Amino acid sequence: MLARRVGTAVVVLWVAATATYLALLAAPGSTVDTIIGDGADSPEIRAQIAREWDLDRSPLVQYAAYLGRLVRGDLGRSYLLQRPVSEVLGAQLGSTVQLAVAAATLGVLLSVVLALVTTGRGAWARRVSGTVELAFVSTPGFLVGMVLLNVFSFRWGLFPVAGDRGIAALVLPAVTLALPIAGLLTQVLREGLERALDEPFAVTARARGLRERAVVARHALRHALLPVVTLAGWVFGGLLGGAVIVEQVFGRPGLGQIAVTAVTSQDLPVVLAVVMLSAAVFVAVSTLADTLYAVVDPRLRTAVAA
Amino acid sequence: MSRTRVLLALALLVAGCSSPAPAAPGAGTPVSGGSLTFAVETEPITFNPHLYAQAKARLLVWNSFDALIAHDDKGGYVPWLATGYDVAADGLAYTFHLRTGVTFADGEKFDANAVKANLDQLFVTGYAPSVTAVQLRNFKDAQVVDPQTIVVHLKAPDVLVLDFFASPQGGQISPKSLREAKNLKAGGVDVVGTGPFVLDRYQPGQEVHYHRNPAYNWAPATAKHQGPAYLDEVTYRFLKESSVRVGALTSGQAQVVEGVPATDQDLISANSHLALNRQLNAGTAYSYYLNVTHAPFDDIRVRRAFQDAVDVDTVLKSVYRGTATRAWSVVGPASPFYDKSLEKAYGNDAAAANKLLDEAGWTQRDADGFRTKNGQRLTVRLVQSAPFVRDRRDILAQAVQAAVKQSAGIDLKVSLVDQATANQALQTNQYEVFDNSRLDTDAGTALNLLLASSGAINRGQYKDPHLDQLLVDGQSSTDLAKRTAVYAQVQKLTVVDQAVILPLYAPQDQVAATDSVGGTGFEVAAGVPASAYGLWVAK
Repeated sequence: MLARRVGTAVVVLWVAATATYLALLAAPGSTVDTIIGDGADSPEIRAQIAREWDLDRSPLVQYAAYLGRLVRGDLGRSYLLQRPVSEVLGAQLGSTVQLAVAAATLGVLLSVVLALVTTGRGAWARRVSGTVELAFVSTPGFLVGMVLLNVFSFRWGLFPVAGDRGIAALVLPAVTLALPIAGLLTQVLREGLERALDEPFAVTARARGLRERAVVARHALRHALLPVVTLAGWVFGGLLGGAVIVEQVFGRPGLGQIAVTAVTSQDLPVVLAVVMLSAAVFVAVSTLADTLYAVVDPRLRTAVAA
Repeated sequence: MSRTRVLLALALLVAGCSSPAPAAPGAGTPVSGGSLTFAVETEPITFNPHLYAQAKARLLVWNSFDALIAHDDKGGYVPWLATGYDVAADGLAYTFHLRTGVTFADGEKFDANAVKANLDQLFVTGYAPSVTAVQLRNFKDAQVVDPQTIVVHLKAPDVLVLDFFASPQGGQISPKSLREAKNLKAGGVDVVGTGPFVLDRYQPGQEVHYHRNPAYNWAPATAKHQGPAYLDEVTYRFLKESSVRVGALTSGQAQVVEGVPATDQDLISANSHLALNRQLNAGTAYSYYLNVTHAPFDDIRVRRAFQDAVDVDTVLKSVYRGTATRAWSVVGPASPFYDKSLEKAYGNDAAAANKLLDEAGWTQRDADGFRTKNGQRLTVRLVQSAPFVRDRRDILAQAVQAAVKQSAGIDLKVSLVDQATANQALQTNQYEVFDNSRLDTDAGTALNLLLASSGAINRGQYKDPHLDQLLVDGQSSTDLAKRTAVYAQVQKLTVVDQAVILPLYAPQDQVAATDSVGGTGFEVAAGVPASAYGLWVAK
C-alpha cells in the first residue's frame, strides 16, 4: 500500500519535471538571451555564458544531467540570482507555507461556520449568503488585498502594511487568500448539508427527537464534508497561484514571487524546482485528503482495513 | 599631467567649504542618530557591485561600497577612494593615487593591491563578461607601483575607463570577501566594502538592513557632508506596488519611498507633511530606434515622416498627466553632452509627414484608413518585452500608435510579449521599431552601444563610418569641450539628418519623504535616488 503510494508520487514528480522541462524547451528564445537580459551582448559573452551553464551541450544531455542532480537532491543554481536554488527557495518557503496554512485553515473554518449558520434558514438568508459567497469567489485577490490594506493598514493602522513580521502581518494576506476559498467551500458545504438533511437518516434522527441544530452538526455535516475534503485538497494545492498576487500586493517574501520572476526570465532551474515542490505538495495533500476520508466516513475505514 | 590632481584637490577644498545641505522643511539641521524605513520598488538580483545591472538598485550599492572617483555634475570627476589621477599624454595609462587610512568593513586595508585584486576578479572567466566586454574593453593590465599607487594600462585611448572607476561595477570589494565569500556573485552579508553603511541582514523578498560604519571618513567631494553617516540604521523594504509604497508612506510605515508614478503624485502633493522630489536620469532619453535594414524605414522619407507624425507633447500629456519631460535628443537633457539646439528643430508636422509619404510612394489608403503601396499596408512593428516595460511605456506606445494612424495613416503594431519572444523578434530582424533608454553616467557609453556599427544594442542597425569615427573621437579625448562638440554632431546626425531616432521622454526618478526626514536627494550625475549617506531624521 505504502510502496504503491510512494511509487505513484515518484511518477507524478518525474512527469511534472519532464513536462516543465519540455515546455520551457519549446518556449521561444534561448536561455543565453535570458541570462544576458538587458546587459551587454557579444559572441564572446554568449560563448562564455553557454560554457558556464553547460548550455552548449545537447538538450538531452542537459535533461539527463538535470534528472541526475535531482535524484541526488541537488536543484542546481539560479541563472538569474546566481545562488543555489535550494537556498533561494529555502529562504522563502517558510513564509509561503505559513500563508497557505493560515489561509486554508481560515477558509475552511469560515466556510463551516457560514454553512452551519445559513443552512435551513430559508430562501432569504440563503440568497444573501449566496451573493456574498459569489462576490468572494469572483473578486480578484489583487482588489481585495488593496481594499483591505487601504482600510485596515493605511487608514486605521491596525496591521502593518506588509512583510513577514509575525502574526499581525499575516492577518491581511491570509484573509485576502481565504475569502475566495471560503466562498467556494461554503457553497459546496451548504448544498451537501441540505441534501443530507433530506436523507432518510436525517428523518430518523429528527424522529428520535433530536433538535434540528444537532441533526445538522452531528449527522449531516459528516456527509457534507466528503466533497469539501476533496475540494480543500485541490484548493490547497492551488494556493500557490493566489499567493503570487497576495505576495506582490503585500510585499511578502514567498515562492509566488520567485515563481513569477523565474518564469518571466526563464530561470529554468528555479521554475523546475518550484514545479517539483508544488507537485510534491499536491501529492502530500491528496494523500492526506484520502486519509481524512477514512476519518470522516467509517465505511471507507473498514474497506481500507480489509 | 599634474593639472588634474590640482583640480581634484581644488574640488575637494571647494566641497569642504560649501554650506551644509539645504534642509527639507521641518527636518531642521542634520542630526546624528536614529533609523528609518525606505520603501523601494526593486529587489536587487545581486548585492555584488561588480555585477550591478539594475538602475533601481543603485541607491543600495553606494551604502556599502565606494569607488575610486565620483562624477561631478559637469561631466568631470572628483576624488573618492583615489585622491587624484594622472593621464599619460598618449591616453594609454591612468595612474591612480589612493587615499591612505581607508579600511574595509571586515578590517582589511584598502590599498593598491586591493584595487588590483578587484580588477583581477573582474577578469575571471564567467564572472562579469558584460563588464569586461564593455566598460573594460580597452583594459590591458594593472600594475601596483606602491601601496598607494596603481597604474592602469589601456590597449587604446578610452576616457570611459574613468566612468568605470566611478561606476558601481568599479566599486571596491574587500579582497577577503573576494577570496572567501560563499556566494560572491550574489553578494550579501559576506561581500563587504568600504562604504558608509554595512549590510547586516537580508531577507529575500522582504527587506535589507544596514547599520552605520562608524569609521567612515572618506566620502566623495561631491557629498554634502563628510565623516560617518547620520543614521544609525536604515531598512529598505521591497514593495513592488506603487500604491502600496505610497500607502506605507502616508500611514507612517515608511518615511521615504522612491518610484511614485504620475497617478499617485497628487496624493503626495495634497499632504502638507510629505514632500516629493523629481530628478531626470542621466544617460539616453527613452527613444524609438527605427530599423533601417528593410522597408519601410530603409527610406529616409518614411523615417522622417514617422518623426513628423507624432505630436510628442500631446502624447506625453495624455499618458503622464504633465509629469513627463519631453526629449528632443537621444541624449537625455540632464547630460552635460545634451545638444540643446535640437529642440524644436524637427517633428510635429503632420502636413510634412503626409507629403513625405506621398513622395515615397505610399499614396493609396486601405479600408481601415492606413496608407498602402503596391497593395502593402504601411505597417511598422514595435515588440516590447513585458518584464522590462516600466513607466507605462506600453500605454505610451498605444498613444503613439493612435497618433501616427490619425495624422499620417501609419500602422504601428505594438505587441507586449515575454522576454524570449521579444528576443526572438530581435534576432530574426522581425521588427521596425526598437524602444530603449539607458542610464549611463557618461552618455558616451550608451551611444557606443546604441549607435556604433558594432554596438551590442544597435537595433536601428544604422551603420555609418563617419558616425563610428565620431564615437571613437568622443571616447578617446579627455577634453570635455571637444567631447561635447563631437557628441553634438552625433546627435544632429542621428536624430535630425538621418532621422533614425524618435526621442520621446527623459526618464526620471521620484523620491517622496515625510517632513521629519532631511537630506533626501539624488546621486550627482546619475540622477537616481541617492544612498542613505546624506539622510537624517529630526529628533
